[in-house]
Amino acid sequence: MPSATLLGQALISGVLAGGMYGLLALGLSLSWGLLRLVNLSHFALAFLAAYLTYELGTTYHVAPWWSAMMVVPAMFAIGLVQHWLFDKFRVNELASLLITFSFAVILEVAIQLYWTADYRRFETPYSTLSFKVGAFYIPVLELILCLVAGALAWGTWLWLRRTYVGKALRAAAEDADIAAAYGVDHKKLAYLLSGLGAAYAGISGTFIALIATLAPAQIWTWLGVVFAVVIIGRLGNPLGALFAGMLIGASESLAMAVFSPAWAPVVSFSVLIAILLWNPEWA
Amino acid sequence: MGMSAAQGLPRLAAAFAVVLFALLPAAGLPAFYDSFFYLVFFWISLATSWALLSGFAGYFSLGHAAFFGVGTYTTATLTTQFGVPFLITVPIAAAMAALLGVGIGAVVFRLRRLRGELFALLTLAVTFVVATIILNTPIDGGAGVFMSAVPLPHILPTATGTIYMLGFIMCVLTLGITWWVVHARLGMGLFAIHDDEDVAEAKGVPTFRYKLAAFALSAGIAGAVGGIHAMYVGFLTVAGTFELTVPLYVVLMSVLGGARHWLGPAVGATAITALLYAFISGGEAMVGRAIVGLILIVAILWLPDGVLPAIQHWLRTRRGPGKLQVGAVVVPVVPPAAQAIKGRPLLEVRGVTKRFGGLQALAGVDLDVREGEIMGLVGPNGSGKTTLINAVSGFYPLTSGSIRVDGVEIGQASAHEIARRGVARTYQIPRPFINMTVLENVSLCATFGGATRSRAEIRDEALHWIAFTGLDGKEEALPAKLNLHERKFLELARALAARPKLLLLDEVLSGLNPAEIDNAIRLVRAIRAQGATIVFVEHLMRAVVELSDRVAVLNEGKLFALGAPRDVMRDPRVVSIYLGKAYAA
Amino acid sequence: MLLEARNLHVGYGDAPAIWDVSLDVDAGEIVSVIGPNGAGKTTLINAMAGLLRCRQGSLRFDGADMTCVRAHDYCGHGIALVPEGRRLFTKMSVEENLELGCYLPAARAHRAQSLDRVFGLFPILREKRGQPAGELSGGQQQMVAIGRALMARPRIVLFDEPSLGLAPTIVDDMFDIITRVRAEGAAVLLVEQNVLKALDVADRAYVLEQGRIVTSGLPDQLLTQPHIREAYLGV
Repeated sequence: MPSATLLGQALISGVLAGGMYGLLALGLSLSWGLLRLVNLSHFALAFLAAYLTYELGTTYHVAPWWSAMMVVPAMFAIGLVQHWLFDKFRVNELASLLITFSFAVILEVAIQLYWTADYRRFETPYSTLSFKVGAFYIPVLELILCLVAGALAWGTWLWLRRTYVGKALRAAAEDADIAAAYGVDHKKLAYLLSGLGAAYAGISGTFIALIATLAPAQIWTWLGVVFAVVIIGRLGNPLGALFAGMLIGASESLAMAVFSPAWAPVVSFSVLIAILLWNPEWA
Repeated sequence: MGMSAAQGLPRLAAAFAVVLFALLPAAGLPAFYDSFFYLVFFWISLATSWALLSGFAGYFSLGHAAFFGVGTYTTATLTTQFGVPFLITVPIAAAMAALLGVGIGAVVFRLRRLRGELFALLTLAVTFVVATIILNTPIDGGAGVFMSAVPLPHILPTATGTIYMLGFIMCVLTLGITWWVVHARLGMGLFAIHDDEDVAEAKGVPTFRYKLAAFALSAGIAGAVGGIHAMYVGFLTVAGTFELTVPLYVVLMSVLGGARHWLGPAVGATAITALLYAFISGGEAMVGRAIVGLILIVAILWLPDGVLPAIQHWLRTRRGPGKLQVGAVVVPVVPPAAQAIKGRPLLEVRGVTKRFGGLQALAGVDLDVREGEIMGLVGPNGSGKTTLINAVSGFYPLTSGSIRVDGVEIGQASAHEIARRGVARTYQIPRPFINMTVLENVSLCATFGGATRSRAEIRDEALHWIAFTGLDGKEEALPAKLNLHERKFLELARALAARPKLLLLDEVLSGLNPAEIDNAIRLVRAIRAQGATIVFVEHLMRAVVELSDRVAVLNEGKLFALGAPRDVMRDPRVVSIYLGKAYAA
Repeated sequence: MLLEARNLHVGYGDAPAIWDVSLDVDAGEIVSVIGPNGAGKTTLINAMAGLLRCRQGSLRFDGADMTCVRAHDYCGHGIALVPEGRRLFTKMSVEENLELGCYLPAARAHRAQSLDRVFGLFPILREKRGQPAGELSGGQQQMVAIGRALMARPRIVLFDEPSLGLAPTIVDDMFDIITRVRAEGAAVLLVEQNVLKALDVADRAYVLEQGRIVTSGLPDQLLTQPHIREAYLGV
């Protein structure tokens, strides 16, 4: 049994890693919960943003926050285009799963053709920065990521709860016809939401570039876990996505510390399977 | 009944193809050909096995790699760690994979409201778990498994030739099994489950058993294919075996070729494998993948049913206009003598209550319906009429009380068991199986509703009921081409094809114009004359009064009044619940 | 004339549900449409609310031609719907449901005022304002649905079977509320299965049977017609 310090460090690292899960889950949860579209290309878009951040950073020496200002709006636009496609063809949930998967494959190929399959690392002076609290190390970038993820999750939650547009979105997700009878233009809102989801992917991508090593095949490694997080956190619930992400991150990290790193995936999926079997209506 | 040229030609071509490919290795072509064709057979088997459950029944699985991987590693473990001869491990691999499939299905298929995408993600999750377990146990342990030392049986002189032959045999076997399924009751039931599982269950299809059977077959074949593939690959890794390509390519191939057609996945698999091979050998593997992705998008958007059905449809339209009539007046056949009402009760409802959460839909209903009578079931909205019909037909279990049909208790039986006991129902808004023709719709109900009969008998039975309800000429039409009146009569034909003792009609007249209503009334009388007992829910009062021998009035979930139509309808208490107390006075 | 429908044909898919329907509602009127179930009453109301397209015929609201108006623009013209079965946003709170009623800017400006009025009409909703709408009883949910409509500051409120699924005592309350809606300044068009209640509260009434208007007139006149008994009791 590992020491308390090791477990504590694992817990901290896990929660911070969970912030990334939560951030990725955020956009996915919104579009699946409120638009009834399963967007597998979310990960590919995040990685596209990551590679663009890397490219702007290494080739043109643009600082990440500046490149984010270019990349994120670009992602928003891609989200709008994607929704236009879905709207035009009246795509249902299952079909959206397959189409976005194909889109992700195409994006992966495009990324590999341009940047090759070699591992890429966006080196910044603060990549390895961390500070110590007691016996524990807290990496700065991961902490910032969690704070940003938290802010976005809370902000989105407040937006959905308090603003009229947010309420209109939640109403339209439940009963689009009656919402329309009271003036809610579901179509326009759907475009907004689609763009927003893609923008969140863009923000995730910026952090991915800063924290992780990039390789095109990585697009798929997070797919399973993040989907589990989305469902566990309940569809359309931004705070749920964040907390579920941190929960899964912490559980995986602890499992890795107590058993072995290779057992980590079992945690999230076992939780997912258990929840779905106990209550299929959970999502 | 000899074989026509239209049937004979495809069979001859198929036989020719089988012989050709069986002899291919002997032609002395370079090993590359063995390898390429093996891959084609490999993907045909995998894609077709996937379609058995996911294409036919519509339960989209993203976990095909789990079964394939279990098969691969079963063979790997048994041969390398226990020295079991390779050929023997293949059926064992199939059995292990089938076991996993049955295990998952036994749990998951009992969940009533598991949505499509959730089943897909659940199966994907299972794949990840299985992969992780294999990775972390001595089965693989992370080091991978070397298969090159395992002796290969000498079916053909070369190793590649032997593997080719095994892949070929597996492919023929898979296609053969699938062809058999499509033409058996299992296939019919699966297609019905795909279109409308609740209605399929109500028509007598044992949905749980059939889904499990399809899943077991699908998984078992994938397992066997995996076992053979272990020898082809030579060095196994968990990452390589369980990567996302397998589940997603089988989906693509089936969707492209036509997931509901037994040959569809094979067409898709051949096309995609050839395409990928062309790109890989040209050094452009990545571009090939992108093109494959693009094809899937195009296929889903423009050819949602797949290439093969699209070609079939095109050929059919080219052959010329069908023999479908347009908007003919439907006149039902009325047999001469009417049957007398017997005294004994066919349906006995005692103290039936049904609660949905806080809502008490039925609050203790006691009712007897005599054999051979037509009973009208009326009452204001929310009084529980449709709930009672649903309860009797088994759509949901009772909260309490008992229901007996012909003396047999059915209160807690499943819908398909109740259907086999001779209870049939129609739906207020018709729910035909949209991808089946009128004839197929009615034949299915004839197949599952009664005793086992030969295919010829069932076809005759179906045609009889189609003519009885006046739908003759429309046998080959899809339900979408029928108008509301015809679809309602299709509902009736389907219910009658099961030769039920008890027929439950749910607002069969709503939405019809006066002429169609007269038609329908005549038809209901004709049905009773055939010997059925009928309970019908209706709001059109003049029809209720005209048709019913007795009328039962429900109010607030209880039986409020029962008796001859005119007596009941003039009863001041009944008038009051419809019009209000002051008016009745 | 506030609402003018002429020769409407409306249907679902290929099955027309109402044929050649013409009716009028003037400002300050309560007009009832009665008829047996399956007659097409919900189709009629949904067409008036813009949820269904009219295949033929014309619909004018306060002089404006509504045929090309999109569904989400109907509310802006002053038409509010209380749908059959309430159709509240069950996962959202009572207050949020009411707020959706004044989603459009014109109504939103008077949000506080309107909310006060609704709570004044239905005091119990003030207590339950934070609860998810799905947890309320049938009668309370109906209050929320009516309140939602009133929040839109409508010129006309469309009621689709307001008595459906409600206990008899609550039904009386409901119809009281409908008269108070008129007192608040909106006209009312309601379709209803409960003949007596519907005729009791109405200024004028139409009878809809199998998709067609078969007769119309003052409530007292209609009550004496044997046709009503036939439509409902078949005798």
